Amino acid sequence: MSQFDAQSALIRIEVDGDAHPVPEGITVIQAMWNIGRPMLHGVGCLGGVCGACPITYRLPDQLASKTGLACQTAVREGMAITFIPSDVSKKAIAPLPKESPTQKTLFQYYPETRRCTACRACTSVCPQEIDVMGGVRAAINASSLGDLSTVAEKFTACVMCGLCAAVCEVQIKPHRAGMYARRLTGAFYPKEATRLLDRIEEVRSGKYASAWNRLLSADDEALSDYCRSEEALQGLAG
Amino acid sequence: MSLDDSKTRVHESRAVRMKEERALLSPQDKDALIRRHHPDYKKEAYRTIRIGPNEGEQTVHELANLLEGESPIASEAISLSPHHQADLLIIGGGGAGATAALTAKGAGAKVLLATKLRLGDSNTVMAEGGMQVAVSPEDSPVRHFLDSLRGGYMKNDPALLKTLVEEGPEVAKWLMDIGVLFDREEDGNLSLRGGGGSSKPRLLRCKDYTGLELMRVLKDCVLNEQIELLEFSPIVELLTDGEGACTGAILKNLDNNQYIVVQAKSVLLATGGIGRLHIQGFPTSNHYGATADGLPISYRAGAKLTLQDTFQYHPTGAVYPEPMSGILVTEAIRSVGAQLVNVKGERFVNEMETRDAVASAVIRECAEGRGVETPAGRRGVWLDMPMVDLINGEGTLAHRFPNMLRQFSRYQIDIRKEPVLVYPTLHYQNGGIQINVDGESTVRNLFAAGEASGGIHGRNRLMGNSLLDIIVYGRRAGRAAVKRAAEVSLGKLTLQHLDRFHEAQKKAGVVPQAVSPMLFPDYAKKN
Repeated sequence: MSQFDAQSALIRIEVDGDAHPVPEGITVIQAMWNIGRPMLHGVGCLGGVCGACPITYRLPDQLASKTGLACQTAVREGMAITFIPSDVSKKAIAPLPKESPTQKTLFQYYPETRRCTACRACTSVCPQEIDVMGGVRAAINASSLGDLSTVAEKFTACVMCGLCAAVCEVQIKPHRAGMYARRLTGAFYPKEATRLLDRIEEVRSGKYASAWNRLLSADDEALSDYCRSEEALQGLAG
Repeated sequence: MSLDDSKTRVHESRAVRMKEERALLSPQDKDALIRRHHPDYKKEAYRTIRIGPNEGEQTVHELANLLEGESPIASEAISLSPHHQADLLIIGGGGAGATAALTAKGAGAKVLLATKLRLGDSNTVMAEGGMQVAVSPEDSPVRHFLDSLRGGYMKNDPALLKTLVEEGPEVAKWLMDIGVLFDREEDGNLSLRGGGGSSKPRLLRCKDYTGLELMRVLKDCVLNEQIELLEFSPIVELLTDGEGACTGAILKNLDNNQYIVVQAKSVLLATGGIGRLHIQGFPTSNHYGATADGLPISYRAGAKLTLQDTFQYHPTGAVYPEPMSGILVTEAIRSVGAQLVNVKGERFVNEMETRDAVASAVIRECAEGRGVETPAGRRGVWLDMPMVDLINGEGTLAHRFPNMLRQFSRYQIDIRKEPVLVYPTLHYQNGGIQINVDGESTVRNLFAAGEASGGIHGRNRLMGNSLLDIIVYGRRAGRAAVKRAAEVSLGKLTLQHLDRFHEAQKKAGVVPQAVSPMLFPDYAKKN
């Protein structure tokens, strides 16, 4: 398809030790297709949100390797690339509690979180630029549900690629703990969404029943009148 | 005009454009615009389907070839003794499949969930804008119904649509109860935003990560419930009892190329969309596996499709920088003020028209020489995002659209300061497998939910109605399948529907153009 339409200059990249010429200005995933790899594992949404395609890569003359998502990283001259299997960490079976959660709830399922040595490796590899270690430290220091919401907030952009867990020297699974903190925060949100609850009650009580009767028995012409006129709509609701 | 010169014009015209009021098109003008420029009206892109339940009807060549295609199973002798048995076999690990799995498992059914890639790899995870639910006191499910009906050109199935909007509030509550974090107001109420074609703000959202948030939570629940999973195992053919009812499916393990035979009391196709067929050569916003697998598979088993001739081209897919081409820029960004601007720095459409109208207007600008050419030879128009912060205050883009900001910043484009180039991208299959309100297709014991199904959205889906669709109909299909499991026993496994399909092919002189399902786009260069 259109991926290779562009007549761009060729650059050289290295994949698992083999050198390949590829067009400039394409993503690492597109480069894999260009060198003839169809890709199965290591590809997903192609939009940077599913976490299927973490890579590590090194650029010429740079000491430190970098990490990224293959669908969100453009190839560069001399780039040496290795795909890393997407998240393989085992998820704790962590149901939501009956009572309002505390820090204990989180540590019951993810006890290793407490072992953080503040090395910052997790933060340095996150392709979403999340302050991962900040999230882990916030969990360790959490004393209330409100504190758990701070943890939750930190992981909003997490794509669950698991790179943070892969580099943690004490086997913390920050993405999983973060996900659990998010679910706890959502399920035990301190304030009610009263308008939503009111609407559910209205629907249950049959408030719209007569409007539905009229709409579902209307012919096309009558329906299109309802669609066009605000007045007709108001009449329905009444 | 060069890209940079044109960009300068966008900056220069901004102050004037910000004050410009532009009315929505009259129904007649909108209709004329769409008929002239929307890809759904390009006659040469379509042909007649020659066999099967929709014989004589139209669809695009790409889909017609798959519907009339050859089963990968046809020429092979394969043992049909089952490797797995289940009350409900779910095909697809996106939002609809995961929701159905949780519902059915919760009601005590034995569920097997098979998916082509990993659990969660889907279009769901990429949804940015939100989920429509009529929550505010000025709004109502009835208003939601009429907005959607108008958006769908009155071609929506009224019963399906009524169920969708009426169960919206309830499923929003369910999602919140399992831990989905929608954006909230200070007082705890859900924060709502407007979308194209909607007369009241009713989009629930989690910044611009709404689909990711839903999918992460649903996936977490599926793993917690320890639902039996077969990943990297797409469906390749259905199994029937020889009397028209579905009794199971054949999957293929992509890691060892072995077939897996599953016997099930019912099968749910939650196989998602079609974007990777690149209909009419369009780029797509869809995930890698969006190849419409459920359509040819159900079609061969006798399931009727509906509205299989209409597709949604999202108006704003990125066309520059090149590595981002096809990636979506959420419609929500237009609902807070970003304008579309042509090469001369002029606005040309009210940005809150429905998607089909906005997409048609962008195509018109480019076709009539008012588009901007990218260095890679693509054409597009400007989406002026810096306006969002000017209108709503500095920090709005960063706070509400962190995903957009990050994606463009990877290529050194700061959307707070610069406009970006966009062109319509193939986004959604408006139609699909015809279902009733329980999600059952015209083939007994065969269900469909989510993008694979059709009828709910008519000829044009409103923004935010698909996330709602997958949850409402995922739950309904899950429930209906559990009920069915109590009524039927495991059936005979045959491929007799394929024999009948072959006869029909022969009779109509159809020589299959493709093997279907397609499973993946063929991007890899042959060396």
